Formats: sequence, structure tokens, C-alpha cells
Amino acid sequence: MTTEGEGKAIQIEDLVVRYGDRQVIDHLSLGVAAGEVYGLLGGNGAGKSTTLQAILGFVSPTSGRVRVVGLDPSAEPVGVRRAIAYIPENVALYDHLSARENVDYFLRLARLRPEQDEMEAAFRTVGLAEEAWSRPVSGFSKGMRQKTAIALALLRRASVLLLDEPTSGLDPGATADFNALVSRLRGEGAAILIVTHDLIGVADIADRIGFLEKGRIGDEMVAEGPDRFDLRALHDRFARVRAA
Amino acid sequence: MTSLLREARFLLSLRSAALAIACLFLLTAVAIGAGLVEVARQEAAIARIGPQQKADVAAVAAWASKGRDPGDAAYYTFHATWDPPSDLAFAAIGTRDVSPYVLRVRALGLEAQLYEGEIGNPEAALPGRFDFAFVLVYLAPLFVILLFHDLHSGEREAGRLRALEASVGSTFGFWGARVAVRGAGLFIALAIPFLVGAAVAGTAAWKVAAVLTVILAYLAFWIVLGLVVARAARSSLANAMTLAAAWMALTLILPAIGHVVINSAIPLRQGMELGVKQRTAVHRAWDVPKSETMNAFFRTHPEWKDTAPLTEAFHWKWYFAFHQVGDEAAGDLARRYHDGVLERAAWSERLGMVTPGVATQLALHRLAATDPAAQIAYQDGIRAFHGQLRRFYYPYLFRDKPFDRADFDRAPAFQPTSEDGSWPGALLAGVVLMTCLVGALGVLRSRR
Amino acid sequence: MSVILSVAHNELRHLVRSRVALTGLILVALLTFAAALTSQAYQADQAALRERLQHAADEDFEAQPNRHPHRVVHFGHFAIRPASGLAAMDPGVEAYTGNMIFLEGHRQNSANFGDARQSSLLVRFGQLSPALVLQVIAPLLLVFIGAGMVAGERERGTLRQSLLAGVSGGALLAGKGLALGAAALVISAPAFALLLWLGVSSAARLSAVALSAGGYLAYLAFWTLLIIAVSATARRSRSALIALVGAWTFAVVLTPRVSPEIAAALAPLPTRVETDIAVQRDLRAMGDSHNPNDPYFAAFKQKTLKAYGVERVEDLPVNYRGLLALEGEKLTSSLFNRYSNQAFAAMEAQGRVMDALVVVSPTVAIRRLSMTLSETDLFAYRLFLEQAEAYRYDLVQRLNRLQATAVTAADDAAKSKSASAEARSRISAEYWRAMPHFDPARPSAADVMGRALPALAALLFWVVAGALFAAQAGRRLNRSAA
Repeated sequence: MTTEGEGKAIQIEDLVVRYGDRQVIDHLSLGVAAGEVYGLLGGNGAGKSTTLQAILGFVSPTSGRVRVVGLDPSAEPVGVRRAIAYIPENVALYDHLSARENVDYFLRLARLRPEQDEMEAAFRTVGLAEEAWSRPVSGFSKGMRQKTAIALALLRRASVLLLDEPTSGLDPGATADFNALVSRLRGEGAAILIVTHDLIGVADIADRIGFLEKGRIGDEMVAEGPDRFDLRALHDRFARVRAA
Repeated sequence: MTSLLREARFLLSLRSAALAIACLFLLTAVAIGAGLVEVARQEAAIARIGPQQKADVAAVAAWASKGRDPGDAAYYTFHATWDPPSDLAFAAIGTRDVSPYVLRVRALGLEAQLYEGEIGNPEAALPGRFDFAFVLVYLAPLFVILLFHDLHSGEREAGRLRALEASVGSTFGFWGARVAVRGAGLFIALAIPFLVGAAVAGTAAWKVAAVLTVILAYLAFWIVLGLVVARAARSSLANAMTLAAAWMALTLILPAIGHVVINSAIPLRQGMELGVKQRTAVHRAWDVPKSETMNAFFRTHPEWKDTAPLTEAFHWKWYFAFHQVGDEAAGDLARRYHDGVLERAAWSERLGMVTPGVATQLALHRLAATDPAAQIAYQDGIRAFHGQLRRFYYPYLFRDKPFDRADFDRAPAFQPTSEDGSWPGALLAGVVLMTCLVGALGVLRSRR
Repeated sequence: MSVILSVAHNELRHLVRSRVALTGLILVALLTFAAALTSQAYQADQAALRERLQHAADEDFEAQPNRHPHRVVHFGHFAIRPASGLAAMDPGVEAYTGNMIFLEGHRQNSANFGDARQSSLLVRFGQLSPALVLQVIAPLLLVFIGAGMVAGERERGTLRQSLLAGVSGGALLAGKGLALGAAALVISAPAFALLLWLGVSSAARLSAVALSAGGYLAYLAFWTLLIIAVSATARRSRSALIALVGAWTFAVVLTPRVSPEIAAALAPLPTRVETDIAVQRDLRAMGDSHNPNDPYFAAFKQKTLKAYGVERVEDLPVNYRGLLALEGEKLTSSLFNRYSNQAFAAMEAQGRVMDALVVVSPTVAIRRLSMTLSETDLFAYRLFLEQAEAYRYDLVQRLNRLQATAVTAADDAAKSKSASAEARSRISAEYWRAMPHFDPARPSAADVMGRALPALAALLFWVVAGALFAAQAGRRLNRSAA
């Protein structure tokens, strides 16, 4: 059986997730193709994090279908997670280890053997100052942790990137750097899903933006032309989402 | 007062804390019950032996009185001794499960009889008893740790600490009430089953008071230690770990090391050696002139010097004399053995001065008269009784007085020395001292 | 596999960098070392002492002058329990049993001078031995080190991060288990070294050494698995720690203590005094050798006269007193054995009750396994007592036979009245020197194995249960939101 979106890196069809009596995701469908950035916008309680959990295999669908690079996350969570690089809002690292050691360890968990120069190149790419590479991350700021996580994501060479509120807490300069980086990864063919409530940030880089309301996609907008999105329309739409 | 009530209500509303206290109560109740059962078993055994012993003596008397030979009577009649459990033994069974509390002796050499063991299952004795002393010394501190390790840090981790301290008038009063209520909960869980047990056993009031003091002092030590660790203001997990490590060191490791050190510093080989020596000394008599034995005997017992001289024929008085000479030959070793056991006990008390768990264990057993000192006291009692037996039989033996049926009833009866335990003042002082020391350390640290 | 090793490596690195855990580890390893050293020194000292005492007792026995054989029956002999092979590893009941028995005619004495009776109350806290450290202290230290291994990462968020790197929950737990297992090996290494050394240098059987080592490995593996599984299941490291300390208290401290109370209630033991009185009573019922008209001894006399084809005791070619002594000893000895078998049957019934608690505590299994293999259990002790009794009986009967054959009836009858008859009733000292020495056999390898294997099976069952728990925890980790 082939469906319309078969072959997309992230494919969600008619997903329903229920916690007891509470329906959190209500017949959600969305797809992210390779080389595409999808921005998922939603207010608190819209179902953003449950959607992420379903993609990562931490939550099993009540009904419907989730596929990540063709694999079912609830059946093969480990295989799915190997294909995904996930950057959470708050990056958890081993405090007693340095950035280098953290990245090295997590790469090993992903069954990769990092070369030192590759790692250093990744740190440079994300803009992590060289003096910080070998120092325990316990003293890192939120931005530095984020950068370390992104460096890790780069080295993972994952075909799917999940970004959870990636720019919250970053200063404008760092945000710009981050956006440039995401664009580059898209260019390299990654499928990127950004979950956020930062309308302006996501408008800069997303190819499509979906509005998540009460567990379903209310609307989808596609970037067009040099201006990409009509910011006013986006804003009005998002205001309605938040009011709901 | 209102703050105490508030905290008591708060404690009861904390399911885990209420459960912990109930659990300790239950364990204490079971331990008290097991102790009472064991004491009843021992009392029943002592009671059972009375009639059996009477029948045994009667059977000996039945044939021995025919010949009226005091030697037969003295040789074949066993005399029972017993060491009844004290009114507190239910709380601390102590050494009563490894050493006999009933022993029969006859007027022959005592050293060959005194160390007789009891029929016991060593595999059952090995892990130790489940008595009140065990619950107090080992388990109660774990409950203190459970209830106190997050007293401060738990509120901080839950983000309530500031709000709490801001809303109560005096933080000292607030924490004081919280500590008092938790401590009182544990104390009650330990004290109520104990009091019931004491009522059943009819424990003397001063001993009940002493045990309650011991409970209080020991709980206080662990609570103060818990507060000092909590003052160091680290995570609940780190507090729990530190306290549990202290528990392991104080109740497992230090006593075990202390035992090894004491036993190797005071070796007691005299026991086995004295057995051999006494036997050899006794039997030597058969191979030396009787006069040699008798002269040795008369040197220590001149009162029999003027009795009829021995002839070629066998005479019981010579037989009993050489048994006594054998005892005296081993006397030095016996004294050293006796003193050695007491010295080991004394050193364990010294260790108790710095390890409250040991001090509590020793204090309870001292009060219950179930410690090695009480065992030695029982042996001393047997020794004294054995002296009476000799003094009873010797006039018949040495003066060739016939021993009639009625004489069997005239034999001295054993009077158990009501070894009543003693107030373990030094040990208690040790616990209090350690508590103060730990408290002072805590205060010093928080000043710095 | 390399992922598991990476996790283990990371965990060990954490352990080394957090100085508290490392200090604990080193201290307990040192404690094990000290326990092995002192325990070995103590056992060596005891072995030498006991050998010396047994030797001295043999010499004393042989140095007796010419004597009437019945004097020698009362002079008696000493049986001293030789130290067993792995007692340094696990002294077991050694401290609670006597080690020396005075063997004499007509009486069965107890084994005396056990250590527990002559030690301070400290002995009840447990004796410092490698067995105590491995059975009791090591699991608790592992709990401290391991309780937060997974739950702590859950609190800090790194657990989720690790799972998102695409490592399976099973591999993650395996790696942590490996690290905790390595810690367990560090703690126990001195004990295993001692086992190995005892296997090489002493009389310990290699099979016992291997099984003992295997048993302890299984025991520590169980704790490692349990700790990891609980840590992976608990939401916070504090609740994991409390649950695990609770489990430790229940399995290691509480169960072994409660079991004797249950056993004593189900199979009570008589006191020695009662047994003594009962033996005397039964003896009088069987036959009273003091009573010339006693039917039993009258019948014995008739039987004897008939066997020798004579009419009167005076015509017997042997000394009738000796025959009487032989018969009397046979009677008393059969009673001793009956009562001692009863007591041991009760003790073994108690043992079965206590062993049954293996279903709630693996510590019960390792205790049984370790004591059995070290030959410091009740079974080995009973074997010693039974051999001492057999030796006593044999020695006394040899002497009684000498009384029957080597002492004339006339001299025997007159010896307490006439010095010359007494002198003639003494037989040559050569006879004492010809008596066999007490040389008790150790429990056979088959006996030891037969008793150890059920305990080992129980331990393996616990390991499997622990592994299943851990595997389930690992699977749940894959799906948990961490």
C-alpha cells in the first residue's frame, strides 16, 4: 500500500494519542521530506511535545501511523532514534565531563567513532569557543550547552533533525548563527522538524509552517517567493491559535 | 504547643513517614513477642528440670542408700544449678542462647564440669537473635535516617524552604517542633511494645526507666547525627548516603574490627589448656603414693588433716581429695580464663565509649544480665555452690559417717544469685558524650 | 558490545571522578583485605594451636604408666577439632561450636571452649571475615554506588539524552551493570585472592574453592542486577536508595535473624541436662549394673556363661568385670547416640526451615553455600562430633577388652583392698601406645557438593530473577519518556 507521503523522512498519518480519557492528539497528519524544514507552531497544551514523543517512540499511538525513515517508532524505537538527532530545549550533558568527552560519549552511544579533527571542526562550526572544549560542562551557559548539542547533531550526520524550542534563551547573534546552521543542514539533505512557539524565528527558516491546535493541524502555510511568509498573516493566525 | 500539634498532624499526613513509624512499631512488637516466647521457653525448661532432677536423685538414693556409702552418694548424685532469665532478658537474650542456663554438677573436680556446653544449633545462633536490642541497635537508626535525611533538604528540593521559613514565626521553633515530633514518633514506636513486654515480664521499674533512657540516648545520637549531616546542606540523596555509611561503620564494621582486635589482644587459650591440665593432674594421683596427694590436699585443707589415715584399700576421701587437688592445679589457668573473659568484656565497653551502637547493645545486656559478665557470675555461683557441695559431703567422707536416705535431702540446694543487672552509667555517658561531640562538630562546621 | 563498554567506561569514569564513591570502594576493598588477612591469621593460629593440643593430648595418653585399663577409661582422651580448609574464608559456626571434647567412659561430654562463649558481646555483631564483607557489606556499598546510576541520570536528563542517541535500554543497563559489577569485583578481589591462595596452599578442595568463588560471583551479580533494575525503575535516586536499603535490610539483616526464631518454635531442642537425666533414666530401665538381681544383667551373665560353656563366673577364662564394662558401655553408648541423633534431627529440621527462607532472601543461599563449602556448617560439625564419639567408643571398648583379657578376675576383685593385687592389675604402658590416634575425616567431596548444589541452584535462580527484572526494566526504558 502506498500513500501520498510515502518516502518522506517523517510521516504522520491520522495520529491519535489518548492518555486515559484525555485525547491529546486528534487525527494529526503531517510529513517532512528530506531537505525540508517544517515549523510546528503551537501554544501550551496544543500537543507539541506529545507529537515529539510519538516521533521518538516514547509514546505509542492510540491509532494512526507514525513512520520515521520508514520505521515505526513504537516498534523500533532504537532504530528510529539512531536516525534522529534531537536537540531539546534544555540540553542535558554529563556535568563532570568536558564538551569533548560528552560529545565523544554520546557519539559512541550512537555507534559512531568520532575523529578528533572532525569534532573540533564541528565545535568551530557551531561557534563554541576553543577554551571551552576541554572544560567540564558544569560551568556552561545554556547557549554553550545548545551549541554542544548542535555539534553533536552535526557529527551524528542524522537524516532527521528534531529541534525543540531551539532558540529560546539564545541571544540574537546566536540565533542568527543557529538559523544559518539549520539552512546548511537542509542543504545537505536533512529533514528538519522545529517545534516552537517562536513565530519570528521559525518564519526565517521554515519551508512550511503548521499550526497545531488541540492536537491537530489547523492550517499549513508554505513559504513562497523572496519574502517567504506573510508575517502579518502568520501573526494573526498564531494569535488565533493561542487564543483557542 | 500548637506548633507541635501542627507538626504531628503533618507527620501523620505524610504517608511514608507514618508507614515507617508503623513499620518500626511492628518490628519492635514482633521482637518483644519473640523475646517473651524465648524467655518463657527457658523458664519452662528450668521448671521442667526440677521434677526430673528430683526423680534422678531419688533413683540414685534408692540404691546408694543401701550401702550407706557417702562416696557413692557424692560420686553419683548430680545437683542442678540454673540461671533464671532476668525480668529484662526478653529484651536482650544475649549469650543465653550459646551458654547453658541449666547445669548439673557433682562434688568431683569442678573444672571438668564448669565449661560444659549446651545443646544448641550453632547455625541458629550464628545470625544472632531477633530481639528488642537488635531492633534498637540496628534497625532504629535506619528509621531515623529515613525520617531525618530530607528534613531540611527535602523542603529545599521541593522549593518550599524559603516560603516555609518565611511563614513560620521562629525557624528554630519550627524545625525544633518537626524534629521533636519525628523523634517522638520513633520513640513511641519503640517504647510502647517494650512497655507492654515489661508489663508482661514484670520488669522492675528502675530497669524500665533505664531502658527508656537508653532508647532516648541512642535515638538522640542518630537524630543529632542526622541533623548535623542535614546542616551540611547537600542533596537528600547525599545525606541518606552519608548517614547510611555512618550506620554501616558504626554498627557493622567498627564492632567487627573491635572484636578481632580484642580477641587477638587478649587470647584465651587457657580454656583448652586448663581442660588438659586438670585431667592430667587428677589422674596423676593413681600413679603417685597416696600420701603425696593427701599432703597436697591437707596443705590447703588442714581441717581434714586429723582424720583417719589411709590404708592400702581404696577410700573415697582420697578420690575426692585428688579431684580437688586437680582443680587447684588448674586454678591459676581457670582464674586467668575467668579474668580474660571479663577483660574482653571490659575492652568492648571501652569501644562502646566511641561507638554508640556498641554502647547501647552492651547497656541493654548489662541491664538484662545477659552479657558475658552475667555468664561469669553464673559460673561463680556454680563455683560457690560446688564449694558448698564439697563442704557437705566431706564430713561424711572424711569421718566415715554413713550416708542415709534422709541425708540426700540435706544436700545444699542451689540458690540462683539474682544477678540483677546494673545501671549502665558509663555506657550511657558514652552515648551522650558522642552525641554532644557530633553536635558540637556540627555547630562548629556551620559557624565556619 | 562496544556501546555497552562505552557506557561502562563512562560510568567508571564518573565513579573515579566522584571521590566519595571511590573512597568508599577503596575502603571496603581494604576492609576485605584486612578481613582476609586477619581471618587467615586467626585460622592459621587456631590450626596450629589445635594441632599442638591434639598432639599434646596424644602424648599425654601414651605417656601413661602401667595402669589398670579402667583407669585409662577414666583418664580419657581429648578430641580436638582440626581447622577446616576454607574456614578463613567463612568461619561459619566455628565460633559457636566447641572445639575440644573430653572423651571418657560412660559419658558423652560436650564440645567446649567455643569462641562465642568466651568473647565479648561484640561477636554478635558478626565476625570480621571475607564472608561477612561479601555477604553483608559489599551489597550495601553497591547499593550506595548503584542506586543513582540510572535514576540519577533520569533526574539530570542525561538518561533521555543517552536513549535519544539510539542506545537501547538493555544495552544501557548492561553497561551500567558491567561498571557496577567491576566495582563489586574490586571490593571482593582480596577475598577471591584468599580463596585462590587457600586452594593452592592448603587442604581445601579445588572444587570447593571454585564453587565458593562461583557462588559469591552469583550473589554479587544478583545484587548488581537488582540495583540496576531498581535504579532504572525508580523515578528518583532517593526512592531507589530507600527501596534498595530496605531490600538489603530485609534480605541480609532481617531474614537470617528471624529464621532461627521460626525454626526454634517449630523444632525445639532439649537442654543437655534433660538429656543427661533421660539417659540415666533409660539406663536404669534397661538394666542396673549396681543391682546383682537385675534381670538384664542376670540374663547377660547366663548368656556369657553359656557362650564359654562354664557354670560359674569364676570359671570364665576371661575377667567378667571387663565383659560387664563392655556391655555397660554398649548400653550407654547406644543411648547417647539415640539422644544425640534426636537432637541433630531437630537441628536439621531447624536448618531446613531456615533454608526454606531462601525463597525470600538470596543471602540465605550464599550463607548455606559458603558455610558448606568451607566445611564450617552444622553438618561438618556433626561429622566431627560423631567421629569423636565413634573414636571414644572404640577406645573405651578396646580398654574394656583389655580389662577382660589382660587383667585377671582375682586381681581385679582385690585391687581396691590389696596394694599388691592393685599392682598386678596394672597392665603394660605398651598398650596405650598401641591405641589408634584420633584422625577425623573431613566431609567427603560428594557430601559437600550434595549439600552445596541446592544452595547454588537457589542462587542461580535469584540471578535469573534479577536478570529478568533488569531486562524488563531495560525494555521499559526504551518506551519510557525518561
